[in-house]
Order: sequence, then structure tokens, then C-alpha cells
Amino acid sequence: MGSACSRKRGQLVHEDELYSVKFSKSGSFKWLLHTLSRSSSDVLRKAQGPAPGRRPSLVELCVARVRQDISRYSDFSMLPRDLSQQIFNELVDCSYLTEELLGAFRDCALQDICLEEYPGVKDAWMEVVASQGQSLLSVDISCSDVTDSGLNLLKDCSNMQSLACNYCDQISEHGLKTVSGLSNLTSLSLKKCAAVTPEGAKAFTNLVNLVNLDLERCMNIHGGLVHLKGLTKLETLNMRYCNCITDSDMKYLSDFTNLRELQLSCCKISDRGVSYLKGLSKLSHLNLEGCAVTSACLEVISGLASLVLLNLNRCGIYDEGCENLEGLVKLKVLNLGFNRITDACLVHLKELISLECLNLDSCKIGDEGLLHLKGLLQLRSLELSDTEVGSNGLRHLSGLRNLHSMNLSFTLITDIGLKKIAGLNSLKSINLDNRQITDNGLAALTSLTGLTHLDLFGARITDSGTSCFRYFKGLQSLEVCGGLITDAGVKNIKDLKALTLLNLSQNANLTDITLEIISGLTALVSLNLSNSRVSNAGLHHLKPLQNLRSLFLESCKVTACEIKKIQLAALPNLISVRPE
Amino acid sequence: MTGKGEAAAQHREEEEDGEMVGVVKLISAEGFEFVIDKKAAMVSNTLRNMLTSPGGFAESRDNEVRFPEISTAILEKICQYFYWSLHYASGKETAEFPIEPEITLELMMAANYLDT
Repeated sequence: MGSACSRKRGQLVHEDELYSVKFSKSGSFKWLLHTLSRSSSDVLRKAQGPAPGRRPSLVELCVARVRQDISRYSDFSMLPRDLSQQIFNELVDCSYLTEELLGAFRDCALQDICLEEYPGVKDAWMEVVASQGQSLLSVDISCSDVTDSGLNLLKDCSNMQSLACNYCDQISEHGLKTVSGLSNLTSLSLKKCAAVTPEGAKAFTNLVNLVNLDLERCMNIHGGLVHLKGLTKLETLNMRYCNCITDSDMKYLSDFTNLRELQLSCCKISDRGVSYLKGLSKLSHLNLEGCAVTSACLEVISGLASLVLLNLNRCGIYDEGCENLEGLVKLKVLNLGFNRITDACLVHLKELISLECLNLDSCKIGDEGLLHLKGLLQLRSLELSDTEVGSNGLRHLSGLRNLHSMNLSFTLITDIGLKKIAGLNSLKSINLDNRQITDNGLAALTSLTGLTHLDLFGARITDSGTSCFRYFKGLQSLEVCGGLITDAGVKNIKDLKALTLLNLSQNANLTDITLEIISGLTALVSLNLSNSRVSNAGLHHLKPLQNLRSLFLESCKVTACEIKKIQLAALPNLISVRPE
Repeated sequence: MTGKGEAAAQHREEEEDGEMVGVVKLISAEGFEFVIDKKAAMVSNTLRNMLTSPGGFAESRDNEVRFPEISTAILEKICQYFYWSLHYASGKETAEFPIEPEITLELMMAANYLDT
């Protein structure tokens, strides 16, 4: 009798997040695509009923019917709990649930109450939440206005396994005492909770069954980790952006021998702090991004033989000591971006043949160093932005047949070099934001027909180069902002029907004709034509772009008022607009 | 050995065909009988299990299932759903399946029991 919401139970750390590769540079806005997946589209889909093709079950049809007639119902407690659970989830998913309707779920023996980011959740709701009593297994009231007294109502729900109160700023140290009684908790999430102080953390002492603990952005936690000492079942611990954590706090982590994932980004720890991790032999994910650690900590890290992911982005790593990376043969993800490493470090990576993601952003590496990456045949993602890599070095990468994503922005690479990667036809995403790249370079890459993301932000692509775009029929995002494109070149974009993101800003010669040409790209979600000659008179061409959510027309001959008009009249999904 | 395997496969095929043809009788709490195609009844996972598990249930021999807790009106609605579902899956049905507000909860409980 698994309920639909139960998958959320205990799911605190998202694998995708750990493996995601930051790709964009400033000037790009791919972040928008990522934020979109969290948007209302899911809700819209639900509101329209089950997806076409799959036949809806009768239970699903009944649940949808209950939602439609919800005002008829005042009590669901006579239903079996898996059915009331489904109705509850449906109301939450469709944003139908109100404080009044919630009353119908009193004493329904619900197992999962997931109200993360749900509007209006406050103490008054908690009484009904608590009425589920011993049945209640998971609660998520993140981003709510629940206070200590609301949280206290949960004290008798002692079977609870998972509790999330992220960003609940009304909860104090006193309120956390409620949590201390919930000794069956296996997952607890308290992101950005000011109440997690040395005093507040005492509440964790009894939670000996905790497996997942999320204390991200708990800014007052310094001195409180002593109370975690007995939580030896912990497998994942997130303390990202707890920038008060120092070396003295770290010693309390040394007994967590079951720890698999540890996130310490932007904590104030040094090599000495890392030394306390020595015995954590099961650790597979270690994130030290932004910590003031140096290569001296690599000796301790070299003993963590289970490591699959190691994030040392923006640390103080230098070449000496990097030989300690050699033994970490299970590594799949290694982030060494923004460190002082050179080619001399890369030689120590050549045996790490399991590597799938490697980030060397802004490191002092060049062509010779890439030779050592030649054998890393599993590589799917390679970040070389802002390095001294040039055309000669790319020949070492020509055998990396699994590469999906490659960032060569702000490197020394020229057109000639691109020929060497023309055979990498697994590539889906490539960033060539680089002034040396011209039409000739792009022409060398027309074999990469699987590309979905192409960033030519600063490349000097002209109208004649745009004819290459026809080889990239699957493109979902395209940025060409070198200033040399005119309306004539945009004609070669009009058949890229899969495009969701198009950035043609900085091309000062584009006119309203461009708007007309791209008006058939109805999948577009984001459009940027800033610094062009687009004017109010051309805005009506945007009307077919019903999926448009963001529109940037900064420094054009358009007025906020006219954009507003078209937004109201024809573009219901538009939420982000410049000028506004 | 090969021959034996083939024979077994053929036998299984016949058995499966046999499962889908013919009719089955569903009997409501009040004793009302609905005779529907076996293929339609199979839309319900519960009925499918009852009617196909070899030697398990008496139902699979008699092709007759009693529902002492499902009223006639609800059982009729469920039979309608079975046919609607078959048509929907084959693309012949695009209209919504109508559910009267008065019976929604009772129907939902029965559908839950029938796993459909």
C-alpha cells in the first residue's frame, strides 16, 4: 500500500545535483532552463488530467472527480488511508488545498504530508497534520510560517521517519525540542534554520536513527556539532554554506564511519579540519568547494578509497601533493576548478579512468596537460573554460568518444583546433564563447549533428556562418552574440524548431524582421535580442510564441509599456521581462 | 528436447488465448449478475489474478466472481469503465468517463479493491 508521496520520504540528497556540471559563464542564462523544470508546468499537466496515451485507472478518475467537486466533501476519514492520501496529494499537486479543505483530512491516518513551499501553511494547519497520529511517517512544511507551537503539535507523531522544515524562520531553539522526541526519524532537514545553535542542537542527541541530516545554511551551528556525536548511523550530512563551521567543529565528524556523503562547501575549515575525516572509509561524495584547504589535505583524502565524487572547486589546491589523487580510482566526478594547478597536476589524473566529469575551469593548464586526459575514455563532461588550452591540445581529446559536454570558452583555441574534435559526435553541448572562433571553425563542426546546446556567445560568427546551423536540427539552446549577425543570418535559425533558448543579443543590426523570422519558433521559452534595433512596431510578431517565459529587449527601441500590452494580450506565460 | 520446448510454448499460447476469450459473470451484493467479456474483466488487476492463477481461486474455474460488498449500481459503473478503458486504449474512445458526484467515493473504494 505504498502511497504516491512516499518516494519523497528520506530523499534529502539529490544525486543529479551532485553530478550536475556548471556550464554557463556570465552573459549566458542557461540557469533559466534549469529553473523551469521546477515551474508550474507540472501543475498544469496534473490539472489537465492524466497524460494522453496511458489509460487512466478508475481510481485516478475518481480522485480527479473528487478534486472537481471538492466543496461537497467535509470528511474523508471513512476512506481507506491510501485513498485519502491520493486525494490529499492531488489537492496539493493542483494547488487546490486550503486551510478549510484540509479539515476534511482530520484523522485520516495519512502517512505523508508534503506541503513543501505550499502557500499559506501555518500553525492552524498543524493540528490536522498532527491528527494523523501514529500513521504519520513523513512531513514537509518547508518555507511555511509554522512556529514553535505548531511544530510542537507533532510531538505525539512518534513514528515519523522524515521531517523537513527548511527555511522555516519562525522556529526557535525552543521549537527544536519537539524534534528531539521523534527518535524514529531517519531523515531531518533544517535548511537555513537559525535555531540550530549549540543549545538548539541538543535536540539532535536522541535522534540515534538519523541516516540523513541536512543543516545547509544553518549559520549559528558553530559549537553545536558536539551534540551529533552519537548519530553513528548517519550516511549523508549536508552542511553547505554553514560558514561558521571551523576546524574545531570537524572533530565531531570523525566517528561517523557510515558516512557516504558529506557536503561542506564554504565552511571555514582548513587542512586540519579535513584531517578528521581520515577514518570515513565509506565516504563516496565529498564536497569541499570554497573551503580554505590546500594540497596538504590531499594526503588524508587519498585514504578515502570509496570516493566517487570529489569537489575541490575554488579551494587552494596547487600541484605539489596532487600525486595523492592517483589512488582514487573510483572517482567519477572531480572538480578542480579555480585552483592553482598546472599541467604538472594533470599527470596524476591519467589513471583515473572511471572519471566521467572533470572540471578544470580557470586552472593554469595548457596543451601539454591535456595529453594526460587522453586515456579517460569514460569522460562525459569536460570543463576547460578560462584555461590556456589551445588548438594543439585538442588533438589529445579526439578519442574521447563519450564526451557529451565540453566547455572551451575563453581559451586560446582557434578555428584550426576545432577540426580535431569534429569526430566527437556524442557531443550534445559545446561552449565556444571565444573571440578567435569564426565561421570557419563552426564549419568544421557540422558533423556534430547531435548538438542540443551551442554557445557561440562571443564568437565572430557572420551571416555566412549561420548556414551551418542547419546541421544542428536538434538544437535547444543557441547563443550567438558576436555582433555580426543581421536579419539575413537569422533566416538560418528559423528552422531550428526545437529551440527553447535563443540569445542573439549584441547584434546591433537586427531589426523587426528578425522578430518576424523567428515567430515560428514556438517552443521558445527564452528570447534575448537586447542591444538590437528591434522596436515596438515589431512586437506583434511575438504573439505565436506562447511558451515564452522570459524576454530580454534591453537597449532596444521598445518600451516597457508596449511589452506589457503584448504580455497581457497574447503571452500568458511570460514572467521575466526587460525592460520592465 | 527442442521438440518438447516448442510443444510447451504452443500450449502456453493456447492457454493465454483461452484466458482472453469467453465471458465472465460478476455478481453484486444484491445478487445482480453482469456477464461481461473476459477481456474487459482483465482491466482489473484483481480480477486478472483471480481468473488466471492456475488452480488458485475457484473463480478461475467457474468464471464467476461474487462481490458481497459492491452494490449493483457501482458494479454496473465498473463494468462500464472496463469497456471504456479498452476503447480508450485502442484510441476509439476520447470522451471523458462520466462519474456522478454522488457515487464517487463508493466507486473509488470499489475500484481500489479491484485494482483498476
